[in-house]
Amino acid sequence: MRFNWDNIDRRWIFLMMLITVAGPIIWQLAFPEIPTPYARAVFDAIEDLKPGDKVLVAFDYDPASEAELGPMATDFVHHCCEKKVKMYFVSLWPVGPVMVQDAIRNIIEADYPQMVYGQDYVNLGYKSGYEGVIKVIVTDLRSLYPTDTRGNSIDQLPMCRDVKNIQSMKLIVDVSAGYAGAKEWVQYAAVPYADKMKLVSGSTGVQSPQLFPYLPDQMAGLLGGIKGAAEYEMLVNERYSGPTPAPKYQEALRRMGPQLFAHLLMIGLIIAGNVIYFTQRRREGRSR
Amino acid sequence: MKRMIPLLIAAMAGYVLVASRFIPLAEKWGEVEAIWFDVLAAIAFVLGGGSLLKLHLRRISDRATGWGYSAITLAAFLATLYVGVAKTGARPSQEQEFYGQSFAVLKLEDLPESLTYRVTGRIPERADDEPLPLSVQRQLSQSGGDLVFHGWISGQQQGELLRFKEDLAWQCAVEKLVATAQPPAAFKGKVTYLADYSRLSFRGFMTDADHEALLKLGKNEAYVAAVEVLWKASRAESEVLVEWLPPGFSIPAARRASLSYDEGKHKLRIRGPMSVALRDELAGDHFPLVRPTTAEQRAAFLNELESHGGKLSEVQAHALDAVLANGWPVDGLRLVLDEAGHALPAEKSACDLYQEQQAAKGVAAATPKPTPPKVEPDVKLNDRQKAAIDEFVRESTGTVDDLAARLMAAGPFTARQEASLREFFAKVPTVGDQKLEACIAILRVGPLPRDQRNFLRDDYRHQNQWRQTVGDLFVRAHKVKYPWSGQYNSPGSWFGWAYEYIFKPCTATMFALLAFYVASAAFRAFRAKNFEALLLLGTAFIILLSQTFAGYWLTSWLPSDPQTNALAWLRMENLKILIMRVFATAGTRAIMIGIALGLASTSIKIMLGQDRSYVGRD
Repeated sequence: MRFNWDNIDRRWIFLMMLITVAGPIIWQLAFPEIPTPYARAVFDAIEDLKPGDKVLVAFDYDPASEAELGPMATDFVHHCCEKKVKMYFVSLWPVGPVMVQDAIRNIIEADYPQMVYGQDYVNLGYKSGYEGVIKVIVTDLRSLYPTDTRGNSIDQLPMCRDVKNIQSMKLIVDVSAGYAGAKEWVQYAAVPYADKMKLVSGSTGVQSPQLFPYLPDQMAGLLGGIKGAAEYEMLVNERYSGPTPAPKYQEALRRMGPQLFAHLLMIGLIIAGNVIYFTQRRREGRSR
Repeated sequence: MKRMIPLLIAAMAGYVLVASRFIPLAEKWGEVEAIWFDVLAAIAFVLGGGSLLKLHLRRISDRATGWGYSAITLAAFLATLYVGVAKTGARPSQEQEFYGQSFAVLKLEDLPESLTYRVTGRIPERADDEPLPLSVQRQLSQSGGDLVFHGWISGQQQGELLRFKEDLAWQCAVEKLVATAQPPAAFKGKVTYLADYSRLSFRGFMTDADHEALLKLGKNEAYVAAVEVLWKASRAESEVLVEWLPPGFSIPAARRASLSYDEGKHKLRIRGPMSVALRDELAGDHFPLVRPTTAEQRAAFLNELESHGGKLSEVQAHALDAVLANGWPVDGLRLVLDEAGHALPAEKSACDLYQEQQAAKGVAAATPKPTPPKVEPDVKLNDRQKAAIDEFVRESTGTVDDLAARLMAAGPFTARQEASLREFFAKVPTVGDQKLEACIAILRVGPLPRDQRNFLRDDYRHQNQWRQTVGDLFVRAHKVKYPWSGQYNSPGSWFGWAYEYIFKPCTATMFALLAFYVASAAFRAFRAKNFEALLLLGTAFIILLSQTFAGYWLTSWLPSDPQTNALAWLRMENLKILIMRVFATAGTRAIMIGIALGLASTSIKIMLGQDRSYVGRD
């Protein structure tokens, strides 16, 4: 009896994927990255900022996409801290503020203790309303955000006193996993106020093709998935982290190892599937 | 009617948004509508919760297929709701706890009349009609030509009032108001009134004299009751068992009324709440700070360490020396103190500037010219003061207080210099910290026997033990004021725990499972059955490869700049850009334009009442 490869138990494929992904994680395989123009554009947009410039950092993602977007969020905050810009964190997703809090705890409080909450960064938190939130804060920030997530009146926070709306931001940095996210920031903030602020975004690999039409006019740069994050991370580390960056600043590069082998397995599986398909078709043709 | 109201709301909302987009005057309408959306969303959350309960209770009641999952969903929903709303396990917000202060409820209208202050002035109107800052709205009013303020004005209120309008007449009136609306000198910094919280507050321990003086300020029942509450709260006794006392520990003279140490029972006691400043002072002042060391001192320390065990290797000795040599520079301290001794240019008050302005206008010719502010001379360290610093470096026991006293005794020493001195030493580690750092540095490059490890770590252990004792007393002496003020999802809360250890891993797992299913699907379904499928397959290969280092490696032999060499377009990374920029963008744009047209036509139909499908059937 001949073994039917076409009907192979899917659990064998799952096992292959497990081994393929686990190997590079265990042995911590990492590979160099060549930055694409899009990643370089994101890097340059932040690099062009001056100390004290205001930057709106929107974390529009949740734990489901943390593995893909977490490293680029880390790198954005790391880069902004190095540039000494003022960061205003917001989120259009309900669990976004927790992501912001993680970034504040792991990066700002850990590595930049000289930065003061309310003077150098503030977490304004989540507001429901999706693009409606953007529509309001582009003209009036205070009506939607009278307080930050800690309950402080934003009038008491030095960095918020002169901010009437987000038109005073030099740059919007959005980490986006879907709706509401980068597309909405383009439509309701970056395009209507193109002369006042720029937008750069990091998005999941799946979402990136939807955002390419906005490059480079409506959106200055885009990091697509973990690959884009790794390219950007390399640029930030080269400039700011010295010869041995802390492991938390190499997360994207570290995750490229499993991605490489997983993609190779996928290609292998597609080829194998087609070989089996054509072999069977030829066999069926002969038997007829 | 049931359908008419939602239809009308939808149509009106549509018209308002269109108007706010195209008519500049109506721009604000759109913002108001978005805020109303928040209100509706809140109601929708409640309705959604109710609907979820109803649906799953029915499934459980009917024993429908999979009712067990419904039970789990309901249990998870109710548990999350409870721990989120009740903020179970969440610590109170640090900003709302007012450490070191005791509170008593006192409504603004119950403040004694003697705490109402008046100065001549007028509340200005702003061009943008912005009202007075929220923090003063209840306390500040206009009565004839006077500004009337109830209670004592705080630094924050002063700042917000000054910023309210950039007008010298107003800022001068605020300056006068701030000078007037202050507690009696004996209570300065001790007693405050927090109008936002309707609380009278007292800082630290209240003496009998404070108590009597406070009672003299007012006679009404509510005020007297509030003072009595403060009197009681600010004298409540707390104690902690002391397992290890720093050598030479004694209660500072200024703190003896509230702090005491029972040597027989080994207990440290405090009356009233403990401020953060007192906590830090108690916890930190008893341990010697690191001094700059000479090569001989470092060699002596190495010998002492080696006397507790074996000889250190050369690399270890080098690591130890590097840590010990990393002290603070004496010249650096002198420079900081000389810098702080520079007199700051005297600033004119708003009233001085206002008078000058009026004089320039000739409005108040009779007004006497303001006296020019006195400019203090620069103060530099003299030789005796420099010698005092050198002496402090040589000895190993003196504290920062001792050094400050010696510097003051040796010559002129300003308050700014003293502040700079304390700021400088706040960043200097203790000897215990340094020895622990040395221990870690040595262990990084080689092993260290137990006795030597203990020699290096004991000081830090004691230091830490004492700090924990003081911290424990700080917590015991504090009465929680607003237990619900913390964030529901703060680390340590039940909600935070459920988020971190249940929600986060579950959602991440769901997302990660995609990789396994996609791999299986790719194997079974991705077949080159026709030309279109072949194109799709080729594109997928390019994208999959170009998203990894393999793509770059496979085509790295090709020229890299597409501007100078056409072959460069065949490199994987360039092929990916080509596909994304040209093919994917074209397709996405077509879809987006289609969606936009569809949205516009559907919106018009909804606004005109032609499309009613979204409200369901009658």
